[in-house]
Amino acid sequence: MKDFEPVIVAFCCHYCAYTAADMAGSKRIAYPANVKIIRVPCSGKVDTIHIMKALENGADGVYVAGCLEGDCHFKNGNLRALQRVKQVQALLEEIGIEPERVEMVAMSAGMGERFAEVAFEITDKIRKLGPNPLKAGMENAKAA
Amino acid sequence: MQNQNSVQTGKVLVVGGGVGGIRAALDIAESGGDVVLVDNAYSIGGLMTQLDRTFPTNNCDLCTLSPHLSESGRELHIDLKTMTDVTGIQGEAGAFEVTLKTWPRYIDVEKCTACGECLESFPECIRFTPGLDHRAPTCMRYPQATPWSYSVDMDKCNDPEALEKTCKIGAILPDDEAKETLIEVSAVILAPGASIFDPSHLDHFGKGLYDNVFTSLEYERILSASGPTGGILVRPSDGKQPKRIAWIQCVGSRGIQKGAASYCSSACCMFATKEAIVTRERFKDDIETVIFYMDMRTSGKDYELYYQRAKDEFGVRFVRSRPHSVVQNPKDMNLAVCYTQDEKSENITEEFDMVVLSTGFMISEETREMAEVMGIKLNPHGFAETASFKPVETSRPGIFVCGMFESPKDIPETMVQGSAAACKALGIVPRGKQAKAPADSAVENQWDDYDGYEAFPPERDVTDETPRTGVFVCDCGFNIGGVIDVPALVDYCKTIAGVEVAIAVGHGCSGESQKNIESYIKEHQLNRVVIGGCSPRTHETKFQDMVRRAGLNKYLVEIANIRDQDTWVHRDQPEIAANKARELIRMAVARVKLSIPLVDYTLPMNKDILVVGGGVAGMTSALALADRGFKVFLAERSPRLGGMAANIRKTLEGEDVRSKVAEMIERTMNHEKIQVMAPAIIVDHSGMPGMFTTGVQSGPQMFYTSIKHGVTILATGALPNKPSEYLLNEHDAVVTQLELDERIEDDPDSVKNAANVVMIQCVGSRTKENPNCSRVCCQAAVKNALRIIDLNPDANIIVLYRDMRTYGFQEDYYKEAREKGVIFVRYSLETKPAVEADEDKVTVTFNEPILGIKASVTADILCLSTGFISDDESTEDLGFIFHLQRTDDGYFLEDHIKLRPVDLPVPGFFVAGTAHSPKNIRESIAQAQAAAGRAQTLLSQDEINLGASVAKVDGKKCAACLICVRACPYSIPFINADGYSEIDPARCHGCGICAAECPAKAIQLMQFQDDQILARLDGLFERMN
Repeated sequence: MKDFEPVIVAFCCHYCAYTAADMAGSKRIAYPANVKIIRVPCSGKVDTIHIMKALENGADGVYVAGCLEGDCHFKNGNLRALQRVKQVQALLEEIGIEPERVEMVAMSAGMGERFAEVAFEITDKIRKLGPNPLKAGMENAKAA
Repeated sequence: MQNQNSVQTGKVLVVGGGVGGIRAALDIAESGGDVVLVDNAYSIGGLMTQLDRTFPTNNCDLCTLSPHLSESGRELHIDLKTMTDVTGIQGEAGAFEVTLKTWPRYIDVEKCTACGECLESFPECIRFTPGLDHRAPTCMRYPQATPWSYSVDMDKCNDPEALEKTCKIGAILPDDEAKETLIEVSAVILAPGASIFDPSHLDHFGKGLYDNVFTSLEYERILSASGPTGGILVRPSDGKQPKRIAWIQCVGSRGIQKGAASYCSSACCMFATKEAIVTRERFKDDIETVIFYMDMRTSGKDYELYYQRAKDEFGVRFVRSRPHSVVQNPKDMNLAVCYTQDEKSENITEEFDMVVLSTGFMISEETREMAEVMGIKLNPHGFAETASFKPVETSRPGIFVCGMFESPKDIPETMVQGSAAACKALGIVPRGKQAKAPADSAVENQWDDYDGYEAFPPERDVTDETPRTGVFVCDCGFNIGGVIDVPALVDYCKTIAGVEVAIAVGHGCSGESQKNIESYIKEHQLNRVVIGGCSPRTHETKFQDMVRRAGLNKYLVEIANIRDQDTWVHRDQPEIAANKARELIRMAVARVKLSIPLVDYTLPMNKDILVVGGGVAGMTSALALADRGFKVFLAERSPRLGGMAANIRKTLEGEDVRSKVAEMIERTMNHEKIQVMAPAIIVDHSGMPGMFTTGVQSGPQMFYTSIKHGVTILATGALPNKPSEYLLNEHDAVVTQLELDERIEDDPDSVKNAANVVMIQCVGSRTKENPNCSRVCCQAAVKNALRIIDLNPDANIIVLYRDMRTYGFQEDYYKEAREKGVIFVRYSLETKPAVEADEDKVTVTFNEPILGIKASVTADILCLSTGFISDDESTEDLGFIFHLQRTDDGYFLEDHIKLRPVDLPVPGFFVAGTAHSPKNIRESIAQAQAAAGRAQTLLSQDEINLGASVAKVDGKKCAACLICVRACPYSIPFINADGYSEIDPARCHGCGICAAECPAKAIQLMQFQDDQILARLDGLFERMN
């Protein structure tokens, strides 16, 4: 547990967060490598199943990064994403996994600093939460 | 990259690379015209790139636009020359010869990758604006715009040789020299922008004397995360966060002394309000914000609502007063603002921690010199002279103007003028020259160097082949190669399942490397390609073209972003960076395996246009397009053309409206390319951009016709408001400004003998029922007051107003009216005037705030400034038929309030005139020209490419539950006759919301199919299917 480095999947909207991540790069702002970015055309494309599969595969945390409210390239995809994240959180709660492992964040394409900030905050949070309990289960299953 | 002689005469020169110039250049390029874009700065972007956020959305708005800008092919048409001045011009419209002088940059823009090595070694002499400004790199980084490149200040460099050596790819050119170029162009667009008034000589405001006094632009930089303080708001004097901040408006504007301009700078009320709101948003009650203003001029679309929100929601305090002075308290460096108010005749002193001066816009000496070179007339304020019916034309034919140089304005208006100027300039370019180079002509050879014009070989059918993936890893000089061991990464890539070959390719985007990769693809019969390099946002199209040349479908390539999102981020942790690069490539390999060849949807373009509305705006758009040879259907609801302008006699500037409108109607009716349908109503509509079908009932019998057209322009106008207030519609002495305008012209005697004339502003505007400002009434009141004074110098004229909104040069007329004795008295919603009938006159009772008395005037004429209301019924009907959104007050809602003020959210639809928001004739015409310009960007294409990222329904899985029908933001899915959901690929925007919502997973978004997304996870977690 001492050297726990969480794996965090970030579904990033092409129009904002993915661009913000590029921006962080061009400004050479470091953020934890724990965050693994998957580009989507809109945060509204992120399905509950994508989030659940990420956790099932072994991610310790997942977040969906969409545009600021009112700024969605497709009108309201970010609001739909938020609803789905809440849905996943409720599901996790029900099966006894910390719902905080999943989160929705918003930023604009210009917010390179914010992208890095969010990556730090979420990595810290997940680090404190510890490894995804499913992983232990999987290891046990393997051992058995 | 220069093409020679013959094609050049079709070109347009755009001077100035701010948002206006960029908009104009892009519109021309998208319409197939060639542009030379020059800017005297070393990178383009203008004033806007320095702003932290923009009103009224408080977002980084350019970012919303940038995806549209990075599309390929544009660079083909735009030749960008930075650090370049125009030094001479000869010839005439259609055949200008312009001399350009380019100052040495000492950097080869083609080679420089902005890696930053030189900046690290020689920080004192390297210039790089984007690095200083967090908005610029992404916002402006599309291939043909900001050169993604440094520049060198050689004067500050002590050791050019050492500097040259820091650049490993040899991009530094110490011997670079100024160059003179002669170009031939058909038209010129001037977009040099404005500079900011320098308040440092105004000793009473203490700018430069006191540390805690800023200009609004400086404050903007302080708020910005990339600004000098890293976004931390502190006082320079003591490093403490301020508790009270004051804004002082009209510094350098609406003044008569100390170098101030007499005009209104138009945008400052809004940007000060924005700065105050942003401050309150961030610091809540920790910081008190006060704005000292003369008149709040928030007359743009929905700006009044923004102003009200600043007061009511954010608690910004607005004080109507022009402060006398700012004095620093030497003990605590606080600033005492000394002012007085109408209601109290006493001196008030308030202390603030920080004072922001809302400095206005001026035309710089440099711009005036450029105007002299161009041989165009300037108005007394140094701005380009234009006219109401020719809002973007300078005094010299063939030379057009847009943005601040025309008059002080905000970003949306600049965007409108940019597109309008593009439209007018294109009007001079011969149509043949504007079209794309035809494939079979001699011109073809000249385009051979460009990717876009190379004929692609036929695509290889790879559907039955097992995936054979090639991984090509860039080192991007030191950007990737300097952080991680690229050969080791390549070796690792070879071990990933399904990878046939993996090699290092240096700069994968260079021509040489691309050829190398192409030969590998062919030699190894690869059918999937992964590039380990920079961001797909900027380079995807480049690599897509490359695999097409190698005979693969363009959707079989995947870019792993190992530079922008890896080596740049983790450059101090090479181990971590190397590991992340392996992950990213693994994810891309897993993903690309599941890629399938896709076909872009294209449709033939119908080049006819439907213009709805036959007022000044509709006729302007129709004429502009018809003059370019396009067929236009103009549908007008009433039996006659002319719209509201047909009832207006004079503009504020004194131009005769009637004759101009009559001339326009005549031209429109007789134009062989325009089919006027009046009276006409729109009854049905279907299709997609490029192939719309609209049903129109027209003529006296209202016969039904079905029109096929490629684009639609809505110019349906607004209505003059006629609220039942102040005895309007009841008493003969009570008229509207519009009626008074008519009477002054047609029956001057009825006005001449009026001893007392009272005008009441904001009747039916800025109220609960109609919360927005009608924008035109203040200028109308000033116009009519001045004309009455001309008829009868002894007339007493009293204008009761809430804020006088004579923005821009209208301020001159407001000043003239005051000088000629027109009395302006302020009222508020709480102290509204009262009107009573008094035989054939009316008695108006109002508060006089300065004297503190109630005054009564018996008026011969009471003129109400009733302004506009939206044509709610029309916009509702048309909004329903065309699927268009409207604002709360019934105007059409544009695609983007800041950057796309002419485009409607439904592709292929544009809006012009007062159907968009209240505006005067000049602004309506500019927007109508802009709509015609924007329409041409579509009309110049022979087919419409809709991309391949569309949602597809598997009918077998669909349960027709209607979830997708409800979820789609654009109402595209419908249940077809077979009983399952159908999505028209031509109308699908590709967001994938339906796919995510579908409970049966019957919908897949091409390019982002579920298995492809999950494959990335598998690649990440190294688990194979």
